[in-house]
Amino acid sequence: MNRRSAEGMLPGTGADVAGGATGPSDLGAVGTPGIAGPTGMGVDVWWMRLGRYGLGQWRSLLLILGCIVLTVAMDVLRPWPLKLIIDNVLEGEALPAPAGWLESLPGGASRPGLLAWLTLGTIVLFLVGWLGKMVQQYLQVGAGARMVYALSADVFRHLQRMSLRFHGRQPTGDLVKRVTSDTGCVRELVVEAGLPLVTSLVTLASMLGVMWNLDAALAMIALGVAPLLGVCIWFFAGPMNGRSYAYYACQGVAMARAEQTLTALPLVRAFAQEDREQRRLDGAWRDSDSAYLRLTSSQLQFKVGTGTVSALGTAAVLAFGGFRVLSGDLTVGGLVVVLSYVASLYAPLETLAYLSTNLASAAAGAKRVFEVFDRAPEVTERPGARVWAGAARHGMGAGHIRFEGVTFGYEPGRPVLRDLDLEGRPGETIALVGASGAGKSTVLALIPRLYDPWEGHIALDGVDLRELTLASLRRQISTVLQDPFLLPLSVAENIAYARPAASRDEVVRAAVAAQADEFIRQLPQGYDTVIGERGATLSGGQRQRLAIARALLKDAPVLILDEPTSALDGETESVLLEGMYRLMEGRTTILIAHRWSTVRRATRVCVLEGGRICEGGTHDELLARSGVYRRLSALQCEGGAT
Amino acid sequence: MSVAAYRSLAPYAFRQWRRLLTIGVLTLLSSLAVALQPWPMKVLVDYALSGIPVPDAVGGALARFGIEVGPVVLIVGAGAASLGIFALNSLLDVGLTWSWAVAGQRMVRELAGDVFGRLQRRSFRYHQQQPVGDSLDRLTSDTWCVYQMTDGLLISPAQQLIMLGALGVVAWQLNAELAVYSLLTAPLMAWATVKFGNPLKRRARLAREARARLVSFVHQTLSSIPVVQAFATEHRNWDRFHALAADSVAVSQRGALVTSHYTLVTGLIAVSGTALIVYVGGRQVLAGALTIGGFMVFLAYLRTLQGAAEGLIKLYGALKPVEASIDRVLEVLRSGEDEVVERTGAIARVASAAGPRGAIRFEQVTFGYVPGRPAVESVTFEVRPGETVALVGATGAGKSTLASLVARFYDPWSGRITLDGHDLRDVRLAELRAQIALVFQESFLLPLSVAENIAYGRPEATREEVVAVARAANADEFIRRLPEGYDTVLGERGATLSGGERQRIAIARAMLKDAAVLILDEPTSALDGWSEAPILEAVEVLRAGRTTLIIAHRHSTVRQADRVLVLEQGRVVEEGTPAQLLARGGTYARSMGLQESRSQLPAEVAA
Repeated sequence: MNRRSAEGMLPGTGADVAGGATGPSDLGAVGTPGIAGPTGMGVDVWWMRLGRYGLGQWRSLLLILGCIVLTVAMDVLRPWPLKLIIDNVLEGEALPAPAGWLESLPGGASRPGLLAWLTLGTIVLFLVGWLGKMVQQYLQVGAGARMVYALSADVFRHLQRMSLRFHGRQPTGDLVKRVTSDTGCVRELVVEAGLPLVTSLVTLASMLGVMWNLDAALAMIALGVAPLLGVCIWFFAGPMNGRSYAYYACQGVAMARAEQTLTALPLVRAFAQEDREQRRLDGAWRDSDSAYLRLTSSQLQFKVGTGTVSALGTAAVLAFGGFRVLSGDLTVGGLVVVLSYVASLYAPLETLAYLSTNLASAAAGAKRVFEVFDRAPEVTERPGARVWAGAARHGMGAGHIRFEGVTFGYEPGRPVLRDLDLEGRPGETIALVGASGAGKSTVLALIPRLYDPWEGHIALDGVDLRELTLASLRRQISTVLQDPFLLPLSVAENIAYARPAASRDEVVRAAVAAQADEFIRQLPQGYDTVIGERGATLSGGQRQRLAIARALLKDAPVLILDEPTSALDGETESVLLEGMYRLMEGRTTILIAHRWSTVRRATRVCVLEGGRICEGGTHDELLARSGVYRRLSALQCEGGAT
Repeated sequence: MSVAAYRSLAPYAFRQWRRLLTIGVLTLLSSLAVALQPWPMKVLVDYALSGIPVPDAVGGALARFGIEVGPVVLIVGAGAASLGIFALNSLLDVGLTWSWAVAGQRMVRELAGDVFGRLQRRSFRYHQQQPVGDSLDRLTSDTWCVYQMTDGLLISPAQQLIMLGALGVVAWQLNAELAVYSLLTAPLMAWATVKFGNPLKRRARLAREARARLVSFVHQTLSSIPVVQAFATEHRNWDRFHALAADSVAVSQRGALVTSHYTLVTGLIAVSGTALIVYVGGRQVLAGALTIGGFMVFLAYLRTLQGAAEGLIKLYGALKPVEASIDRVLEVLRSGEDEVVERTGAIARVASAAGPRGAIRFEQVTFGYVPGRPAVESVTFEVRPGETVALVGATGAGKSTLASLVARFYDPWSGRITLDGHDLRDVRLAELRAQIALVFQESFLLPLSVAENIAYGRPEATREEVVAVARAANADEFIRRLPEGYDTVLGERGATLSGGERQRIAIARAMLKDAAVLILDEPTSALDGWSEAPILEAVEVLRAGRTTLIIAHRHSTVRQADRVLVLEQGRVVEEGTPAQLLARGGTYARSMGLQESRSQLPAEVAA
């Protein structure tokens, strides 16, 4: 299978290393292709994709709709007590038929009595409306948060599957922002745009209905302003949308820059570059500030535009309604009701108008979310991939690794490994040696399928890796990397990282075997000491021994080992090596060797040069032959002799 | 929250006083415009529809312009007036929004700039305890607290007070009895706010913490992707994410309930207030003491007045959530105990042109990261200009601590360290660090071009200088092979280069800095033997003529040193030339002996 064509589809893979001028995030530079998506979902537009997460909360949404109807009904009734007061209490007209029952209330026949009852009515209307709003608010907060987290959980899961190369290029801060804040777009779409849309439509329809019954002509005038408002929205929303995205992008850049500085703080401090870093960040912030002001300015234009239209409508209703009252077609109270509706009619219309602001910011968030979502992971599980079922069936021992004609590289056209063959039989230790850049780490990365080869294949116990589920494959492999990558969890949790269910006894046993038990016990809380970020409160050797204990506890048949070097002095090192050798016992080990003692213990030594294995054999055989191995050895000696 | 906390942020707001003043003036004008708003209605209802005669002053004035006062003129006039008042209002609104956007943005920037500056200067220990994600959160979102604070303490109260004052006076003129009744609700609202305000703060803080836990979990996972994938823990992380998310949902829902209690009480007070006015005002109209138009104007004023009063009182509650952010920002701004502070009047220049430079002296230096647990104790030694001293010892013996003390990343608890006779604490930090070049275990390359990385310490260096040091550091060759050569931008964490290549760039960077003192903290430790040789060569070049402190473990490196200090549990236990120490057969000889067994290969190859 040729993966090169697939590589070509990934935008920016070739250009990113060089294309830094476009900013630190290569996703930012990718732009629209991310939205169209290599997944080829075609007609799927962003709001439909987000809508699915919203619909996951349909039960809450239905209840919320019920609350909305109740609240709107109270809103529509609100000006009526005042109308009745003006017309029937103050002007002294007879009560209209539907409100005739008010007179039968105790004291309702007298004007002051009616006034008191109508006043009480306003309070009751408020209480019922409040109840609806409260329930709605409670449901909305929960449903909104749940849909956001459903989306961010999926993005998070997706990011975990993306290749190391992707993560190497993408500032972590930017990714974190996409998972944790940009995913708010689904709430903006459903709760902050969708529900107000429904509320507004229901409000508009019922108020127009009531007005129509009061005075059809006046209702027509009020209604006539709607198309004008529509034009306003159409005209002003476009720039607002673009500017909102620009603003978010600027914020992302600034955040990534701050993160870079804080991560490389020792360097910044040693070179006394604090002021320069500050200026660099200030530059990013200035961009973000002007983007913010541009956004504000388009929001203002929008507000004034729609406000003007609504003021024109109010003035027209005021004047025309005045004439209707003069001609006796409408009561003063009726005009008050219409005017109060017009005021509340424009509120939902304006909400509709501002919807596009919410939609714009939801769209901006969605764009950033789907940019990462639509990046297909380079390594995917085949449909129907199997769980690794053990070796017995294949008639081989467990942990047999075989590379056949493997070609692979990180950038199209620049293979790192070329047609590489390699075999590690159960119990063997294969040492990889070679100059830096020869592809040793790449070989190791291919075994747990962190990447797929362009050509050729790799098999575990005779099964092509691509036919196995990722989890079952990776369960067979223990890894110790040069950077131990400890997590900010307790020491015990770090050791049990592969098997959280492991008992404390097992953890301690692994630690003892890795020669780590002693220093762990000296830590303030022993095994429960939480390790500082990046494991910084431990020394390099201690961190590495924890990594070994972690791999020991995992107890997998295959071990890949980027031999933890020498961040260590002589004494710790011998202790560390002891742990490491214990880890290698009885496992198929493929390791990058940095040390003669290790090389000598290997069953076979493979010398990598130019992406191929140019020599193989035992240490002694290789030394006997003259070749790259001798040259490398000589180089090592030079280092030792000068 | 103490007043002091607010006070310490106040200068950021007051530095924008010109814009704040503009906002004040615009607010005053806009409350007058609001006072005009219900009048077209009164004109319509009373004069045009109910046939009450227009006051003589107005009627006379209109007559002078030849306008016959009649219902039609009044109706059209009312419509036109409502439009004019709108125009005035929106003009003022644009001015207000814009001034506040600019002023607010500026104060947030200034605060964030200071927070970032402080973050850069906080001790490494602080950063080890504070996840980067959390610091970024404080920097980018919590700093908005100054905006919210200024809005809550200054802008909004001023707006509401001006509105209350202006409308209160007009309402008093209109009908004193109703004005007094409408003010009755204010004390009740204040009571409700005090009663329900406190739970709001606690809820906001809980919600924030729940969210922070989630964000930092995401950050932690995404920054350890290699382990996550190798150990196939994706699924477990996902479960954990869901648990944290569910937590956060529950907390914010409980928050929503507390908020709605609050809205019930305040809303009920407001609506009862309105009912009171409607009843009393209605009785007055019935008694003929008030016109219907006047009644309606008063109702409109009451709504605005109540809105202003409510807004004013609600500010007390609105600031509660901000206080958590203020706390978090101030935590950064406050100086830490273990932090290095520049003395006023510190020396700006240590080097005299004449004479050798780079003499380092430790005098009885004791220092540790945790009180009561010194990492180095009573260390005394001297490094002469141009000398190379190797620090060896077991992991945790204090080697790196000594190195960071020379660069004054920390100050000693007792004793002193001098550079060319000056106590480090008497020297400006920038000057001190200009004298010292550091090469770390980790190369810390930034996502800039290769050339910019090399010139990090001296951005003004010419391309020739950059290339020269790259060549000296054995880096020129591979740099030229990169896609854009020296202009190739490095991926985050320098991921596109091998460890050896990154470290050679780091050495070139240190060379270009051309400092008198060189500190090498195990520069080759992360590299295999095969990549070490070109680096050691580069180190040779870099070392020439500089005072060098090298932390090493490989015999090959240590042998190059003029002198070796052997550290054990924070104390210097042996000192001498490598040969002397080997001959003496102490700790050094023992630890090197272990390494010798590995170094037998050269003999074999030579054989």
